[in-house]
Order: sequence, then C-alpha cells, then structure tokens
Amino acid sequence: MKKMLLIYIVIISAFMIYVFRYYSQQSEVNAWDSRGLQGDIAENYVMVTFQSGLEYWRNCLKGFEDGAEKLGVSVEYRGATQYDVQEQMTVLEQIIAKKPAGIALSAIDPGALTPMIDKAVAAGIPVVLFDADAPGSRAYSFLGTNNYNAGLTAAEKMAQLTDREGQIAIITLPGLQNHEERRKGFEETIAKRYPSMKVVKVVDGKGDAMVSRREAEKLLKAYPDLAGIFVTEATGGTGVGEAVKNNPRSKPLKIISFDTNKGTLDMIENGTISATMAQGTWNMGYWSLQYLFHLHHGLTVPSPTSAGDVSPIPVRVDTGISVVTKDNVADYYAK
Amino acid sequence: MLNNHHKQSRPGLQRYLQWLRPGSLELRYQLVILFLLIGILPSIILGFLVNWTVERVVDQQVISNTLQLIGKVNQSLDNDMENLQNTTYLIGFNQHVRHFLAGGTEADGGPSRQIGDDGEVSPAYSNPAADDQLYEIKQFLQEFTTLYPEIAGIMVVNPQGDYISNEMYARTNENLTKESWYQQAAAREGVFTILGHPYGRNITTHVNYADEEVVSVVRSITDPESRKVLGVVLIDLKLRTVAQAVRDVKLGKTGYLMVADADGKAIYKPEHSYLSSLPSDWTDQADSGTAVRNVEGKELQLVYRKSSFTGWQTVGVFLTRESASEVRQIHFYVICFLFLVGLIGVTASVLLSQSITGPIRQLMSFMRTAESGDLTVRYSGRRHDEVGMLGRSFNRMLIQIRRLIRLNELREKQKREAELRSLQANIKPHFLYNTLDTIHWMARKKGADDVSEMVEALSQLFRIGLSKGKDIIQLDEEIQHIKSYIQIQKTRYRDRLTFTVEQDPETGEFPVLKLLLQPVVENAIYHGIKARRGAGHIHISVRQREECLILTVQDNGVGMSQEKLQELREKLREPLRAMELQSNRMEKTGRSYGMLNVQARIHLAFGDAYGIELDSREGEGTKVTIRHPLLGEQGWNQGEETDR
Repeated sequence: MKKMLLIYIVIISAFMIYVFRYYSQQSEVNAWDSRGLQGDIAENYVMVTFQSGLEYWRNCLKGFEDGAEKLGVSVEYRGATQYDVQEQMTVLEQIIAKKPAGIALSAIDPGALTPMIDKAVAAGIPVVLFDADAPGSRAYSFLGTNNYNAGLTAAEKMAQLTDREGQIAIITLPGLQNHEERRKGFEETIAKRYPSMKVVKVVDGKGDAMVSRREAEKLLKAYPDLAGIFVTEATGGTGVGEAVKNNPRSKPLKIISFDTNKGTLDMIENGTISATMAQGTWNMGYWSLQYLFHLHHGLTVPSPTSAGDVSPIPVRVDTGISVVTKDNVADYYAK
Repeated sequence: MLNNHHKQSRPGLQRYLQWLRPGSLELRYQLVILFLLIGILPSIILGFLVNWTVERVVDQQVISNTLQLIGKVNQSLDNDMENLQNTTYLIGFNQHVRHFLAGGTEADGGPSRQIGDDGEVSPAYSNPAADDQLYEIKQFLQEFTTLYPEIAGIMVVNPQGDYISNEMYARTNENLTKESWYQQAAAREGVFTILGHPYGRNITTHVNYADEEVVSVVRSITDPESRKVLGVVLIDLKLRTVAQAVRDVKLGKTGYLMVADADGKAIYKPEHSYLSSLPSDWTDQADSGTAVRNVEGKELQLVYRKSSFTGWQTVGVFLTRESASEVRQIHFYVICFLFLVGLIGVTASVLLSQSITGPIRQLMSFMRTAESGDLTVRYSGRRHDEVGMLGRSFNRMLIQIRRLIRLNELREKQKREAELRSLQANIKPHFLYNTLDTIHWMARKKGADDVSEMVEALSQLFRIGLSKGKDIIQLDEEIQHIKSYIQIQKTRYRDRLTFTVEQDPETGEFPVLKLLLQPVVENAIYHGIKARRGAGHIHISVRQREECLILTVQDNGVGMSQEKLQELREKLREPLRAMELQSNRMEKTGRSYGMLNVQARIHLAFGDAYGIELDSREGEGTKVTIRHPLLGEQGWNQGEETDR
C-alpha cells in the first residue's frame, strides 16, 4: 500500500507541476500585449463635425487619430458635409444606431442637437463636445476654446497694434455660438477698456473667403479711417487679407484673424495679417478621445450633468488660445 | 578489468531479460503490467496521436484562415486604392484642373511664381478670374476630402512645377517636378502608382502628418493624343485606413499581420513586431504561400498573399514554436485526461490483479497447508468463478484423498490380520509336528506301518504348511503338501477317495503363495465327495498359460445349486468383506471360509486380476480354477510393490 501511495504522490505532483506550468505560460503569453492603457481595435470612436471638409477640423481629427493610435482603438470621422443642422442630426442618428464606443461632437446648433445628444447618452454612448458646445445637453464634457476669452485676447492684441485708438470692424458668422462669443468678448473688452477705440461695424463673412473679401472691400470704402479688422474665422481672414493687399492704403490696416491655416500663416509671414488666434485644435481632438476612452471603460465617474463642477472629468476644458504674429509664425508651419 | 566487468554485467542483463519472459514474475505483477500496458499505453499513444493530429489540422486551418483573412484585408485595401484611383481620374477629368495643368490658372505655389523678399506677390494674384478658378479647384478638391476623410491630402502639380492643394505645400521653392514621385508618375504615363510611405519629399502637410502616417499614391494625367504628361495628381492616404483593416485581424495569441510594399518595405506593422521589413527573397514568386524564416533566433512562420492591384503583400507572422491557443488547450485537456487515465489505470490494475490473484494466493496457502499434511483445511469462498470451482474441486479432492487413505489403512490392517492368522496357523502345528514325528517313529518301531505312513504324511503336511514362516513356496512343495493332505484324508476315507495330479513338468520351480490348494481340496472333500454315494475323485492340474499358472481342482462330488454357486461367487468378488461378515457371524467353519481366505490373499498379493474362479453343477461336481501370476524371484518383489 505504501508503494501505491508513492505512485499516487508522484502522478499527482507531476500533474500539479504540469498545470502550474501551463497557467504560468499562458499568463506569460498574455503579458505580451499588456502595455499600458489599451483599448480594443473594435472600439470605434466617432468624431462628428459640420462642414466636414473644412481644413479647420483637420487638426482636431489629427489629435483624435493620434489619441486612438496611442490607445489602440479605431476612429471614424463623420459629419454634415455642409452647414446644415438637419444633415448633422441625420448623421448623428445614423452613428447612434451603430452604437459606437463614444462620440466627439461639434454641435452646429445646440438647441436642435440636445435631444439627439441626450438620446445617445441614454443609450450608453458617451458623448463629449468639442469646439462648439451644446450647454443644455447631457454630454459629459466640453473641450474647446473659451471663445469669450479668445475675443478678449484678440481685443487686447488689437489695442496693442493700433495704439489703443481708431475704428475697428468685425467680420464674423452671426448666429454661431462660438463666433458670437468671440465677437462679444472682443466688443465688450474694447468698450470696457479702450474708450478711444470703437467697433463701428459687424458684418457677416459667411465663413467664406470670397464673401469676406467682398465685405472687407466694402468696409474699406465705407470707413477710410478704419484702423483694424477682427475676423472670427480663418477662411474669411485670408479673404480680408487679399482685399487689403489689393487696396493699398496710406494708413496701415491691422488684421487679426482666427486659426492657423496655411493661407493665414503665409499672410502673417509677409505682413498682410498682423496676428491670428491659434486654437488648441489638436488638443480638442486628442483629449476628446482620451475622455471618451475613460468614459467608455468606466475609468472615471462622470458627473451626473455637465452643470456639476466637481467631476473626475473636467466638465469644461479650455484648450487654450495663443497669438501668432510674424515673430512666432515659423513655429506654426508644419515641419 | 573490462572482462571482469563484462562477466558481472552479463547475469544482471540476463536476469532482466528473464523478467520479460512470461511466468518469471509473480502473477499479480504480471497482471499489473498487463493491465497497465492495455489501459495506459493505448491512451498515451492515442493522446499523442490526437495532439499531433490536432496540431497539424489546426495549423493547416490557421494557415488557411489566415490566407482567407489576408484575402479580405487585401480586398479592402484594393477597394481603398481603387477609390483613390477613381479620385485621381475624377480630378483629371475636371475642366478647371485641366485648365490649371495647361498653365491657365494661378497656383498655390511653384517656382514660376515666387514671392519676392519685399513681400510683393506676383501680379497674377491680382487677377480675380484666375483667383476664382483657384478657389473653384480648391473647393472641388475639398469635396473629395469631405466625402473621404481618410485622404490626408491631395495635390495637383503641373509640368511647370506649380501646384494646388488644400493641405499640402512645398517646404522649399525647389521645382516639384524634379521630385522622384513626380518622375515616377510621369514615367508610367497615366497609370495609377502606389508609392508607399513618402520619404524625403519636399512636401509637407499643414496638419503635420508624418511620413509614416500616410501612404502616397500618384497618377500622371496624360494627353490621350500626344501621350504628353499634363501633370500629376498626388494623394496621401492616412495609414490609419490600412492599419484599421489589418490590426483588426488577430492571429492566435501572438500572431499579427503586416503589410509590405513590393520591395518589402513595411507599409504597416504593429508596434511590437518581429520584422521591420520583408526581404523580397523570403517570399517566392507565387502570389500566396507560407514560409519559415529565422529572425534573431526566433523561428517565424509567414503566411503571405500578394495583391495584384496594389502590389502589396499582406503577411501573417507567427512564432513557429507557439501553437494556437486552441491547440494548447486541447493539449492541456488531453494531458489532463492521460493523467486521469493513469491514475484510474494504476488503481484499477492493482485492484483487479489483487482481486484475481488474492483468491489464488489464498487457495495456494490452503494447498501448502494440505501439502504439509493437514487435510482438514477447506476452501470456504462463495465465488462462482473458476477460482471458486477450483476451491470446491480442491475440497472434493481432499475428501477423496482422506477416504482413500482410510481405505488403504483398512486394507493394510486386514492384510496384516490375514498374515497373522496364517502365522498363527503356522505356529500351532510346530508342537504337533514334533509330536507327530515322535509318533511316526514309535509306530515304525512297533511295526504299525499304516500308522507310521499316515503320521509321516501328517508331519510332512505340517512341515510344508509351516515352511519356516515364508509366504511363498515352490509349486512342487505346494503340490507335495496337498498330496500329503490327501494321503491323510485317504487313510480316513479309504477307497471312497481317489485323486490324480497332473502337472506341466517345467512348472515345478515357480514360486506360489503357500496353502493355495489345501482349503480348496478340503472343500472338495467335505462338501463334494463326502456327501456323494460311492467313490469320489479329485483331479488336480497345474498348467502354465502365458503369464499365469492355472491351478484347477475338480471333483465329481455333489456340486452345488445355482443359487449357492451364485452366492459363493458374490462372496469371492469381495473376499475381505465376506470374511468380515462371516467372522462377525462366527461361522468360521462355513464352507467357503478357506476359499475366501485364499482369494483374499491372492487379491492382496497380486490384485484382482488373479484369484479363484468357481464352476459347479449340481450332482456332477465342482471345478475350482486358481489364476496365479508367474513369479520369478523378482516377480514376487514387484508384486509386493504394486500392492503398496
């Protein structure tokens, strides 16, 4: 019987050793691809914009893509091809139906989109907003430029450039919240701090180079003493630049544009545009994805509403603004 | 020393070899080994077969699955590339673009229109119509990126080096037509060409896509008639498109897919990859296949398929030594199963062998006890199998042996009694014999011749009857003895008794049991002749028949009835028992006692094949035939041995 016991002990211990080795090897195999925070390639995060071909979004998307690359997830870029609320709603509806891991949305119209955003959140799809907010919605965060501050910064720069006096015109996109805020920040700052400066006219540039150019030419004719023009978006900025360049004046006209596309940067380099406001567009995309990833994986406790101030994920994120002038424009060119 | 060693090892080896022969080990070990061989060995072989087959089948399946997946990936890449190809065509068809390529439209940049150091722009900028056209073209190009966000940038370049693009611009003022991508596109007139990652281009994108992040394709637009190159469309595709299609595919635990261009340069590879590029001699000319290559000490298995459209190869890379997780799992289960079988097999074989050899060993110990003389031992199992049967047979055998032994003892006792009786019968006459001799001489002196003769016959009778206590005497002596006996009887019966002796001359020397004839002749006289009226005759004959002596005593007395004859024959068949019965009934004087005694002595001495046969007819006489073996001096000894 002792012999039998010995045989049993040998067999069972050999088996235990084998099982142990099998599991330790398996965990070794698993350890191979554990490297930091990693998602699954099947997780699809969607960035939704409007006027999706717009160059402005490229940087946001790049940030979104870079974030996805780091986390090993996949991204999709969708959006209304035109400036059309109805189209964006349709696109959003289609996306929600596909149940993505998260949606980063730039809302064309907060009011119209709020029900759709709430629907997505209710369906368990995390939504963050970037660039353009929808304040009443249940989206978890807004990442974007504090546009009022951006307008304020632009006003300060304008005051500096014009020696704090003269007539100023604004070319903007009325009705769009972020553009409105930029204008408001600009106007209020001028009114409050620089009494010898005056905003004489606010016109609609329609976000189009041609329209803005024509509007600028009209402004130049109407206000011969115009000291500066603040353009709230980039496409219009280059249009204004063209107009000013083609209509030489005795008194130099200062142009402050918004965003940093190639045309704008070129014009800053050759002096046509004095300064532009660079938004943290890459940051918007990158951090949107990070937030969505954290929300999707439950790595953070989201605030019940975006009104709550104390939340592991900041409810509002200012992605920053910086002033680009001839001195630092080289940094903004692609390398 | 060496020889010594050999001599020592030889017997050891032989001993081990002996173990292999059946019957050299204890039965239970033989059974254990047998059961283990039958139970475990096939399981182990089966396990190995299953493992081997599964590995082969799964390997094949993994390869075919991988090829299928690669086919799908290639198809989706082909689709992407075909989309790009279509895009280049659509751009080429556009009238504004044609106009630009012909040099009729202002461009974003190019050597022909340089911006002066003073910041003055070239005068063409002031042309609003041309400017509008540029705007139109840019809007047109933007439509493609709107619809297909995977495009990182589109650039159209004319032969002068002027270009239009929404996203891309030249880093320096070098003429773009001198760039290799432009040259390549121009060289392959109008054919869509995939360049792979763009390295060292004089182009950058506004959104900072690095060279590794995009894949570049070009196509020259040619004049269908003159075959002249009108310009080149360059499109950068985000690698993400390729990567998402490829990375989605997971091969086993550690396998991955990579995409390499026709030269083997990696288009896409995962972050942790074993290969940085795919040397072109690694894959042969075939469009798809497998290969095994050694990279930095790791053996890799490659499964590849080439796309004829893109010229790219999509390659599945595995570690050869690592089998698919399914195989590992099956291995695990099979080995678990083998361990279980081993455990059960060992237990079962030991128990089974014990259950078989246990009763046998028990029986064996019973047999040993019986062997050592204790016949009272009994197998008491209630088994119905062979062992039980064997045990019961064993019990019956012991009973039989005990009975035989008791019978033997009885026979020995009876034989001894018979011998003692005959000895006693021998002793009494000694004194008688001496007295008779004295009487013989006294009668001689006194001249009573008939008395002297009778007494001499009597004395001779006794002398032979005693014969110094020997059991065996010569036939002649026996004959002499019976003659003396009849002589005496004749004196008594006078003329009423006659006798003749007929003897084969060569038989005189043969030894026979003594006192064979006297009881028979006595019977013949007392029960045959005496009851007869007138003179009776007794005829004695001795003959040699083959290996027997046949002694017959025939009288012409009254004979006996058939019933009597039958009864006597019965008695003669089992003389000992008959004698026992008679002695119990105290009828020693019975007619048959002497004859039974003879019969018994012959049976005891020589076996049942010899003895007395009886034949009689009422009123005509009785014939007694004695069959006696032909004995030499040694024959007697043999006879004794067979009796034991």
